[in-house]
Amino acid sequence: MKRRLTVGAAAAVLAAAALLLGGAFRGGSSAASAPVAAPATAESLQTGFSPGSTEGLVARLQAQLRTAPDDARALDLLGLAYQQRARETGDPTWYAKSDGVLRKALRLAPDDLLATSGLGSLALSRHRFAAALTLGERARRLSPTTARNYGVIGDALVELGRYRDGFRAFDRMATLKPSLSSYARVAHARELIGDWDGAVSAMKLAADSAIGEQEPTAWTRVQLGKLYWNRGRLAQADREFRDALTAFPGYVYALDARAQVEAARGRIRPAIALERQASDTIPLPQFVATLGDLYRVEGDERGARREYALIGVIERLLRANGVKTDLETALFDVDHRVRLPHALSLARLAQAERPSIDGDDVLAWALARNGRCAEARAWSERALRLGTRDALKFFHRGWIEACLGDRSAARLWYRRSLALNPHFSILWAPVARKGVSS
Amino acid sequence: MKKLLVLLGVVAALAAPASASAHPLGNFTVNRFARVEVSGHRLYVRYVLDLAEIPTYQARQQGVDPAAYARRIARNLRVSLDGRAVTLVPAGHALAFPQGAGGLHTMRLELILLGPTVDRSARLAVSDTNYPGRIGWKEIVVGAGTKSESDELRAYPKSLLQSPLDMTSAAATVSPTSDPPPGLTTGKALQAPDRVADSGFAKLIGRGHLSALVILASLAAALFWGAAHALSPGHGKTIVAAYLVGQRGTPRHAALLGLIVTFTHTIGVFGLGLVTLALSQFIVPDRLYPWLNLFSGLLVVSVGLAVLRSRAGAWRHTRAHARGEHHHHHHHGHSHVPAEATGMRGLVAVGVSGGLLPCPSALVVLLAAISLHRVAFGLVLILAFSAGLALAITGVGLAAVLAKRAFARSSFDGRVIRALPALSALVILVAGVAMTARAVPKVGF
Repeated sequence: MKRRLTVGAAAAVLAAAALLLGGAFRGGSSAASAPVAAPATAESLQTGFSPGSTEGLVARLQAQLRTAPDDARALDLLGLAYQQRARETGDPTWYAKSDGVLRKALRLAPDDLLATSGLGSLALSRHRFAAALTLGERARRLSPTTARNYGVIGDALVELGRYRDGFRAFDRMATLKPSLSSYARVAHARELIGDWDGAVSAMKLAADSAIGEQEPTAWTRVQLGKLYWNRGRLAQADREFRDALTAFPGYVYALDARAQVEAARGRIRPAIALERQASDTIPLPQFVATLGDLYRVEGDERGARREYALIGVIERLLRANGVKTDLETALFDVDHRVRLPHALSLARLAQAERPSIDGDDVLAWALARNGRCAEARAWSERALRLGTRDALKFFHRGWIEACLGDRSAARLWYRRSLALNPHFSILWAPVARKGVSS
Repeated sequence: MKKLLVLLGVVAALAAPASASAHPLGNFTVNRFARVEVSGHRLYVRYVLDLAEIPTYQARQQGVDPAAYARRIARNLRVSLDGRAVTLVPAGHALAFPQGAGGLHTMRLELILLGPTVDRSARLAVSDTNYPGRIGWKEIVVGAGTKSESDELRAYPKSLLQSPLDMTSAAATVSPTSDPPPGLTTGKALQAPDRVADSGFAKLIGRGHLSALVILASLAAALFWGAAHALSPGHGKTIVAAYLVGQRGTPRHAALLGLIVTFTHTIGVFGLGLVTLALSQFIVPDRLYPWLNLFSGLLVVSVGLAVLRSRAGAWRHTRAHARGEHHHHHHHGHSHVPAEATGMRGLVAVGVSGGLLPCPSALVVLLAAISLHRVAFGLVLILAFSAGLALAITGVGLAAVLAKRAFARSSFDGRVIRALPALSALVILVAGVAMTARAVPKVGF
C-alpha cells in the first residue's frame, strides 16, 4: 500500500514535470544549437521526488511492473521516467525503451492521456514534428485543460514554422499553469520575435522554478547563458554555464557552451579540452563539428580532419537508423564545403520537413554557397521574418548580399551580426570582421 | 556469358557475410565487463571491452594496439585484497571487429589479467575507472561461476524493464578454488557475439514442450542456422571453391565434400563435448580451439602443397608431351592429372578442415541437451545443424564447379583454364598459411 502511495506521488510529479517539455524545445537561436533537455518542475520537491532519484523511481516502477505487467499507469510513468533518464545521460537507448513502454500502455488503454502526450514529447525528441503535433492534438482532445498538451503542440508548431499558432499554444499553457516549462517556452518565443529583455526575464523565472533540481537547473542555466552569449555578454554567459556545471557536473551542453566561451577569449587549448570532454561523453554532431573547427583554428589540420571524418560516420549511422537528414547535418556540410550540391538537396529536404526560420536560414546559406544568391536572399528574408536578432542569420544575409554585389548592404549586415555577438561563430566571425573592414 | 554472370552473382551472394545489425546499446556506447576470479591460488581478471560503432571508428583512426589497451585497462582497474592494492599484469588478449550498422564495425577486446596469489580467504574490492563518464553497460562479477547478465557483453537484455547495468565497483570475499583459469573467446564466437547471428540455434534445445510439430520446426531451424553458420566468414568456403575449381571437381565431388563436412563437424562436436564433460578439470574447451585452428590450418597447407606438387608433375608431363616423348594414351579430353588419386585424399582433407572446428553454439546445444536429459533431441539437432552446414558448403562447391564449366565453355583460349589449377593450389596454400599464422600466437602453452 505504501509503495503504491509513493508511486502515486511520483506519478503526479512526473505527469506535471518531466513530461512537460519535449526534448526538441530548442534554446539559443543558432540553427545548430543543442537539442534541448526537458527539465522537471519544482513541484517535485514538494512531493519528495527529486530528479537525482530518477534512477530510484525507474527501479521501483520496473519492480512493480514485473509483478503486475499490465499496469497502464505504471507503464506511463516508466515511459516518462525513461525519457528523463535520456535527458540526464544523453543516451538515446532510453528513447527506444520509452517508446516500447508507452506503446504498451496505449495498447492496454487506447485513450490514455499520459501515454499519448508522452509519445508526443518522445516524437519531439526524435525530431518527428508532424507526428508530435498529431499526438499533442489527440492528447488535447482527451483533456483540453491539461497544460502539458499545449507544450507538445506548441513545440511542434514552432518547429514546423507555424509561429502564430505555436505562440498561442504557449500562451494557453502559461495561463493554465505557470511553471518552469511554460516560462522557458515563453522565453523562447520572446527571443524569436527579438524581445531579448523579455526572454531573459522569463528564463530567469524558469531558472528560479528549477532551484534544487540537478538537471532542470543545469538546463535552464545553460539556456539563460546562451541568451547572454547571443548578445556577446561573455562574462555573464560563462557564469551561467559554470553554475550549470556546478549543479550537474559533466553536463555536456554546459561543457560545449563553455568551450565556446573559452574559444571566444582566445584560449583554444582549454576550449578543445572542454569540447573533447563533451563529445567523448556524447558525440553529438554539433559537438564533433565544433571540436574540428577548434582544431582547425589551432592549426591542427589533421585533428580537424579526424573530427570531420567522424561526422561522416555519424551521418552514416543516422541514415542506417532511418533518421532523415537533419538540419545540423546540412548546416555542417554547407559550412565545411562538403559536396555542396548534395548539401543543397539535403538542406531542401531538411527545410521541407522543418520549415522553421532555422530551416529557412540553412537553406538560404546552402543556396548561397552554391552560388545561387538571388534565390538565397528570398529564403534569408523568410528566415528573418519574425524579427529574430540572431548573429549567424545576420552573417548569412551579409554573405548573400556580398555575393549579389551589394557591398554596402553586406557590410551593414556583417556589422549588425558582430554588434550582437562578436564571437558568434568560430568559423565565421573572423570572416565577418574581414568583411566589415574591407 | 550471361550464365557466367548469374553464377558469379550466386558466388557473391554465398560469400556475403551474414547481415549485420546495429550495436544493441546505441551507437556510441563503451561497454565494460570484468570477471574477477580465483583459480587455484591465483587471482585472474577476465576483462571484456565492447565498443559500439562510433568509439570503434575513433579507436581505429588512431590505430588499435591491443597490448597498449591491455596495459591501460589493467592500470585503471583498481583491485585490492585485504585493503592492499594489487598489480594486474596483462597475460593475453583477443581482438575482433564484428560488423555493425551502416557498414561500420564494432570492436570486442578480451583480456586476461594476472593478479597475485591468494593463499587464504581475503577481502576483495574492485573498482573500474576505465572510460569514466562514457555511456554504456558496466558490469563486474566475482567468481568463475557467477552469471553475467549480459553474457559477458554478448547478449544485452532486451527487456523494456531492464536498465543498462551501471556497476563500477564490487566487493566480496575470495579464497583459493579449484576453478579452471579463465580463457579467451576465439574464432567465430569472438568475431560475431551471439547478438548477431546463431544464438537462435542454441535456443532451440530449450523449447518447453516437444510436440511433433515443434520438433520438425526445430530441425528446419537447425538446418537453417547450420547453413547461416557456414556462410559467416572463415569456414573454408574459399578453400572449397578453389579446390574444386583447381581439381576439375564434379558436382559429385561437391556433394561428397558436403558429406565429409557433416560427418567431421558432428564427430567434432561430440568429441569436444565429451572432452568438456569428462576432462573439464584439466582442459578448458576454450584452450582447445586454438589447437584445432592450428591443426586445420596445417591440414589446408598440406592440401595446398600436395595440389601444387601434382600440378608441377602434370606440368612436366605436359612438357614431355609437347616434345613428343610420351606416346601412350591419346584420348581427347583426358585429364593428365590422375583426378581420382589426388582427388580422394585431398577431398577428405578439405572436408575435414572445413568441419573440424565445432561451432560453439552446437557445443552449447550438446551440453544443454545432456543437462536437460534431452540427449536424443540434442543429437538430432546437431546432426541437422551439421547437415545445414554441409548443404551450404556443397552449394558453394557446386557454384564453383558450375561457374568453372561455364567459364570453360566460353570461348577463351585455354590459357586461363590451364593456369587455374596452379592458381587454385596457390590460393589454398596462402589460405592455409594465413590460418596457421593466425592460430599460432593463440596457442598458449
